[in-house]
Amino acid sequence: MSWESFLQGLYDSAIGSGIRESGLLFPSIETVHVLMATTVVGTIAIVDLRLIGYGSHRKGARQLILDLLPFTWVAFALAAVSGALLFSSNATGYAANVPFLSKMVVLLLAGINMAIFHVTAYRRIAEWDDALPPPAKVRISGATSLALWIVVVFLGRWIGFTV
Amino acid sequence: MSLHDFSAALYATPVSTGIRETAGVIPTTQSLHILAISVVVGSALVMELRLAGVLATDESPQSVVRRYLPWLWAAVAVLLATGTILVVGEPNRVLANPLFWIKMGLVVFGFVLTLLFRYPILHPRFQLEHARWASLTRPTAWLSLLVWIAVIACGRWIAYAI
Repeated sequence: MSWESFLQGLYDSAIGSGIRESGLLFPSIETVHVLMATTVVGTIAIVDLRLIGYGSHRKGARQLILDLLPFTWVAFALAAVSGALLFSSNATGYAANVPFLSKMVVLLLAGINMAIFHVTAYRRIAEWDDALPPPAKVRISGATSLALWIVVVFLGRWIGFTV
Repeated sequence: MSLHDFSAALYATPVSTGIRETAGVIPTTQSLHILAISVVVGSALVMELRLAGVLATDESPQSVVRRYLPWLWAAVAVLLATGTILVVGEPNRVLANPLFWIKMGLVVFGFVLTLLFRYPILHPRFQLEHARWASLTRPTAWLSLLVWIAVIACGRWIAYAI
């Protein structure tokens, strides 16, 4: 099955056409998407600001990450599911939309940045847990993450004006 | 002057036309609005869940409120500023919309709730367990979170309600 026929199949599926043709489903799912996306960005921003050097409600960075990561992950999972449902309602349109494609690339970059953090600086967090400001590597990681997530929000909003 | 006349007059002003017709102003303002909402969500989530006794209960309520309330206020200021730009740019889309007024009512309610039950916690000599409303701390925490969720939902639906 080609990518085009997959997108067309998604567009024509019961889920895709159901969301497209109902007046209430799209805004309802979009509301969930906005609530979950703002939870992802809000909780990540708190951690990123701590990594950059802005003190938080926890002295140690590790405890702050452990406090907030469950909220980030649950919200991210729900944002991804609601986002996939929105995508299915106009799969061919979103797949050809530059802000949408850019958003997926930037999300991937944010994921890679986080993965690098987890296999490098986070492994040695005991050495800098209470340090304010944290080591330069950690601050760069936090600033990169915050910048990428801000771009994700802008691109997400831009999809609605261009698709 | 009726609300409709006011909306039409505002729509015809050069400022309104400028916001509407300058490419990128409305999407940029909306993006900043959503980023500020993210700050409210993050701050309110940690602050209210701490006061609800769910999160970081080994940290004092005072230290948690001191960390997050200023961010909440700052984000609300950004929301008011960006929200005003959006109203001036498209008054016809907003001012006649009941959901917008429900949202404003909820914003005022959330603001008053925060002012009455969270702001006093910042005072150095304030002791939450001795406050007259100590028993209301947990209920107001859940109520605040519900109010902010309802505000966000109303905001998204303004675009769809007639």
